[in-house]
Amino acid sequence: MDIVVCMKWIPDTSEAELAVDSGGKDIKKDNLDYDINDWDRFAIEEAVRIKEKVGGKVTVVSVAPEDAEEMLRESLARGADEAYHLWDDTFEGSDGYAVSRILAQFIKGRPHDLILTGTLAEDDGGAQVGGMLAAMLGLPSSALVSKIVIQDSKVTFNRELEGGLYEAVEMDLPAVLAVATGLNEPRFVSIRAVRKVAGMDIPMLDLGEVGLNEAQVGSQGSRIQVEKVFLPPEGEGAEIIKGSPEEAAARVAEILKEKGGIG
Amino acid sequence: MKQIFVLAEHRKQQLRDTTWEAIAAGRKVAGEFGAELSCILLASNPDGMADQLAKECPKVLVVDDPKFETFNSDSFIKALTPILKDRGPFMLIMGNSNSVIDLAPGLSVALDAALATDCFGLEVQDGKLQALRQIYSYKVNSVVSFKDAERVVVTLRAGSFPFTPVAGQTGAVEKIASPLGAEPLRKRFLNYVEAEKGDVDIASADIIVSLGRGIGDEPEMEAFESLAETMGGVLACSRPIVDKSILPKYHQVGTSGVEVKPKVYLALGISGAFQHIGGIKGSPLIIAINKDPRAPIFRVAQYGIVGDLHQVVPALEAKIKELKK
Repeated sequence: MDIVVCMKWIPDTSEAELAVDSGGKDIKKDNLDYDINDWDRFAIEEAVRIKEKVGGKVTVVSVAPEDAEEMLRESLARGADEAYHLWDDTFEGSDGYAVSRILAQFIKGRPHDLILTGTLAEDDGGAQVGGMLAAMLGLPSSALVSKIVIQDSKVTFNRELEGGLYEAVEMDLPAVLAVATGLNEPRFVSIRAVRKVAGMDIPMLDLGEVGLNEAQVGSQGSRIQVEKVFLPPEGEGAEIIKGSPEEAAARVAEILKEKGGIG
Repeated sequence: MKQIFVLAEHRKQQLRDTTWEAIAAGRKVAGEFGAELSCILLASNPDGMADQLAKECPKVLVVDDPKFETFNSDSFIKALTPILKDRGPFMLIMGNSNSVIDLAPGLSVALDAALATDCFGLEVQDGKLQALRQIYSYKVNSVVSFKDAERVVVTLRAGSFPFTPVAGQTGAVEKIASPLGAEPLRKRFLNYVEAEKGDVDIASADIIVSLGRGIGDEPEMEAFESLAETMGGVLACSRPIVDKSILPKYHQVGTSGVEVKPKVYLALGISGAFQHIGGIKGSPLIIAINKDPRAPIFRVAQYGIVGDLHQVVPALEAKIKELKK
């Protein structure tokens, strides 16, 4: 079983104070920490579990700037067998379509029975790469996938619908599955595992080595163009209660009492 | 862009709300472009649903095939691609439901179309379409355009385009022969699976204390349990809390979890991803406590405290106990 996992390296904006950059088309990222996209962490874990069960090889790949090597090395420590880093300055500004094209070009020349991604990236919220990649490679795909079971040349899984409902699906391999968070518990990475992979080579492939030209990547190869970004006003919608924690808590307690929120 | 298409979504022979919201968006954009609006329905035994759509939409394209009984990205892409590609420049609008999240990316590639997902606004500027989305954990708004794409696919965030029926129309229903051949699908629906039921049914609770990522990696659950008990409510949570196995799945609020409508929803450390907000929109009183003043949850909450849960939660419980005396 040859499993390829596509991963994304994203700025952690969950707790940070954000500001729009001078170009007005993105945020300032200099002071942000970067990390593996949370959804992809479940994809790598699932790939390694499948390998442990049915045998095979796990390859991780990312279209990401140079500092993302840290994520690829962590993936090796989690149990991947090899990692590839796809980067070229011309990749900058790629949308979901252009990123999918880079990944598809890389994957099509390699053995692949199963390709895993996270369903969504928390930076652009696009939820595009899994399905686009599958279409470019001519494979079936599904998103929001959990409970994956491989049997012979088929995979069965559950897919999230709304309101606590799932659908059970069977699909022919090779296939692309974009996983849901929570489908497994990503393992703890020990210092020993990190040391073990410290010397492994992580090849970096540029535009020509991937086999594409400039018109196919970056903003040129993208189908969506960002016109501008802006921050919504703070606390839009809600009345923000000021004061010390005790004062604010006292006011909320009164509101709860008025509105029947104390049962 | 002359044609605006809306894909009708259905489950168990019922049209879903996302369909009507997509029609609302389709009406707006068709009006601004001076374009024709059509609805596409791929279903098994589609007549009843087609009649419903024809009351709200001037044209309904219908394909009847048993393979469309469930919303399968494999069969839908195979059928929609030839039907739409033959019709010149167009825009296709769908709700950003969990089924469409499965379908839209592959379909856009097959159609050779530009795709913008989870849009909450659509505007026509100088004859060109622009879409409003959110990025970076839903904290930043982004306006995107589609270059000179002749084919555009957009998916809509639930609740962004409220639907008002205009009924009374009798749209033309055009039946199209199914483009699917006899070859088997590579992706096959097996059955529906209901989520595991737990000891708490958060859907029927009047008071919910809900926990999000902001409670930290090793939360002091006793403080939250105690607050919920004092309020006479139940504990619920957002997706990351289930992912970390802090609470079981049946406590998860959201479109992929349990949709709730309590009298009071107290959101602690919840940022407010669209799937979460989609699951609480019926609640008349939402109060959010979060460190981050730009957390999207404040946009749907009536009241908010920007602060540290470790300080606010014990203080709140103490005040509630005082008021109960």
